Amino acid sequence: MEREGDGEKERKSIAEYRALLDQVNTKVEEKQYSEEVLALTSRLLKKNPEYYTIWNYRRLILLNHFARDVTTTLEHDSTPLTLSKSTNDIIVGDLQFIVPLLIQYPKCYWIWNYRLWLLEEAEKQVDKGTTVRLWKDELALVGKMLDRDERNFHGWGYRRNIVSQLERLAEPEQKTMAEQEFAYTSKMMRAALQNFSALHYRLKLIPKLLDERQADGAARRKMLDEELESMQEALIDPFNQSAWFYHQYLMSTLSEDCPRDAAIVLDLSRDDRIHYYEQEVERIKEMLEDFDDCKWIYEALVQYSIEYHQLTDIKPKNDLQFWLDELQRLDPMRSGRWKDLREALKL
Amino acid sequence: MALVSGPGRGGSGGGHTLPEELHLYIDKHVHYIQTLDTRKDEYEYWLTEHLRLNGLYWGLTALHLLGRPDVLKREEVLDFVFSCMHEDGGFGAAPGHDAHMLYTASAVQILATLDAFGDLETRVCGGRMRIGQFIASLQDRKTGTIHGDKYGEPDTRFIACAFMALSLLCLLPIINVPLSIRYIQSCANPDGGYGSSPGAESHSGQIFACLSALSIANALRTVNTDRLAGWLSERQITSGPGVGGLNGRPEKKEDVCYSWWVLSSLAMLSRRHWVDGEALKRFILSCQDEVNGGISDRPGDMVDVFHTVFGVAGLSLLGYEGLEEVDPVYCMPRSITRRILGK
Repeated sequence: MEREGDGEKERKSIAEYRALLDQVNTKVEEKQYSEEVLALTSRLLKKNPEYYTIWNYRRLILLNHFARDVTTTLEHDSTPLTLSKSTNDIIVGDLQFIVPLLIQYPKCYWIWNYRLWLLEEAEKQVDKGTTVRLWKDELALVGKMLDRDERNFHGWGYRRNIVSQLERLAEPEQKTMAEQEFAYTSKMMRAALQNFSALHYRLKLIPKLLDERQADGAARRKMLDEELESMQEALIDPFNQSAWFYHQYLMSTLSEDCPRDAAIVLDLSRDDRIHYYEQEVERIKEMLEDFDDCKWIYEALVQYSIEYHQLTDIKPKNDLQFWLDELQRLDPMRSGRWKDLREALKL
Repeated sequence: MALVSGPGRGGSGGGHTLPEELHLYIDKHVHYIQTLDTRKDEYEYWLTEHLRLNGLYWGLTALHLLGRPDVLKREEVLDFVFSCMHEDGGFGAAPGHDAHMLYTASAVQILATLDAFGDLETRVCGGRMRIGQFIASLQDRKTGTIHGDKYGEPDTRFIACAFMALSLLCLLPIINVPLSIRYIQSCANPDGGYGSSPGAESHSGQIFACLSALSIANALRTVNTDRLAGWLSERQITSGPGVGGLNGRPEKKEDVCYSWWVLSSLAMLSRRHWVDGEALKRFILSCQDEVNGGISDRPGDMVDVFHTVFGVAGLSLLGYEGLEEVDPVYCMPRSITRRILGK
């Protein structure tokens, strides 16, 4: 925001903005839903995309057009109260208008919401083939948005939404997009191993993907093993907290309480669970050889050991005591947490 | 109340050296908030009109917590609030702006803070029920989710807005509370946190919203408390220039507003002591503009009223001397929620 610019310039900006706003307000009040007014809202939204009421005006103008378009197209209705372009052109034009705004203001809720609303309304106006094409274009767009900021949660939410729309529109024999989206998360992980947004999405996709592959027990174990393996690779940098949270996600699927729609391996026996805990705890302990000053390692060891001992009833108090001491030493800012944990474990 | 940022910057970025002993510049902040609405010669004043009612709630709440509840003239505040009200009971950001849940919640919080539900009935016939019905009309009776407005997207933030406003109006039973609670549960993630919708990544702002709604509905028992509190405690930055500050998600930058979203969430889970309160205090205090007042997101950035209220509210939760106690569920003075809710 220009702040130190000269006062004259600021006064001029304010006067122009307020005049434009007055003009838009007056015309919308008069229900002038014309191209001219649509263009005025475009000008205003370029100056201020957070002005949600103006996005609503745009909705009114489009809805008015859609309602008339269906009934009066053949009469060549050219009153100034409607838009003269075809419905298709209007939708495409509006989608194009939003793109630069989205790029400039990628965290503005209203822009994302309006775009989603527009696409949902468009579906009522155009044939199915066009609808599918529109949604597919959105997938490309959001891909670009996430390339620019790989953690933008608006972008990730939008992506999930588009995928569910495309899956809804798919032919019954068509597969879901889980496979393709899973590959997308792999690509994003290769770009940045700290991308927790991608890892989060990945974990949500895996159960769906396995169901669709009709994966048997062996294939499911292979998936879990590969994911655990890839986190070991990511944890070459043991300060990567995203990798630790993803590891925690994976371990949470071992629990008997893990819901079916979140599970990776479906037929885990008690011995399987013990095996996974022993394997992971052993691997994490090995990390200590190179990084005995990384608190994340101790935190994982404490957590998984507690879970392991709930499975086996063996209590290695000495290790826990030592790890908690190290946590207290390395991470004193969270000492309240370590103290509570110590008390809960009666150490 | 406008959301014009600046003119000053928080902390050392303003070119000043921070004093050894940090303290809260109460008078400066009061003056900063008090003069926000006089800055009509700034372009940003006009560009932020879509936040004005929120801004008023932020400013008013900050003033109450700073112990200066009477700085803004009650009648003027109420005139503005009612000028934002629509026939259908919803409130817009400013006169002429469309009704939306975000502003309706702020309006109710302001009315509650000013003990003005009586004024509501006097000025608007059946006003309380009208607001309640506006909110109830936005609940999806199949999924329990709550929309922001008639066009709007569902978002767990709006469940919190609805629960806060309706409970303050003593109208919570007019919506299907258990259904919305189930919706919140469907947004839970294995890290214990909550996202904006089912499948979405955990985010501290959404976690505050979900815990606030669960607290109001007396349903905190459904939370994976230790897992979530552990995740929340990891939001505290332990080294570098932002030390002591809190972020909203893993690997993100610290920001004063998370002093509120994260700390209030921990308070609702009775785990406030899982972060270093003294370090957080120092971080918030280092984000003040000690000359003109106001608090910024992090040192060196422009101050604004949004970060001012959440910085002050964070300090209040940390028991900072001289501040009024804040309610972690409502982000309002505790004395006021106690008066209204009787608990």
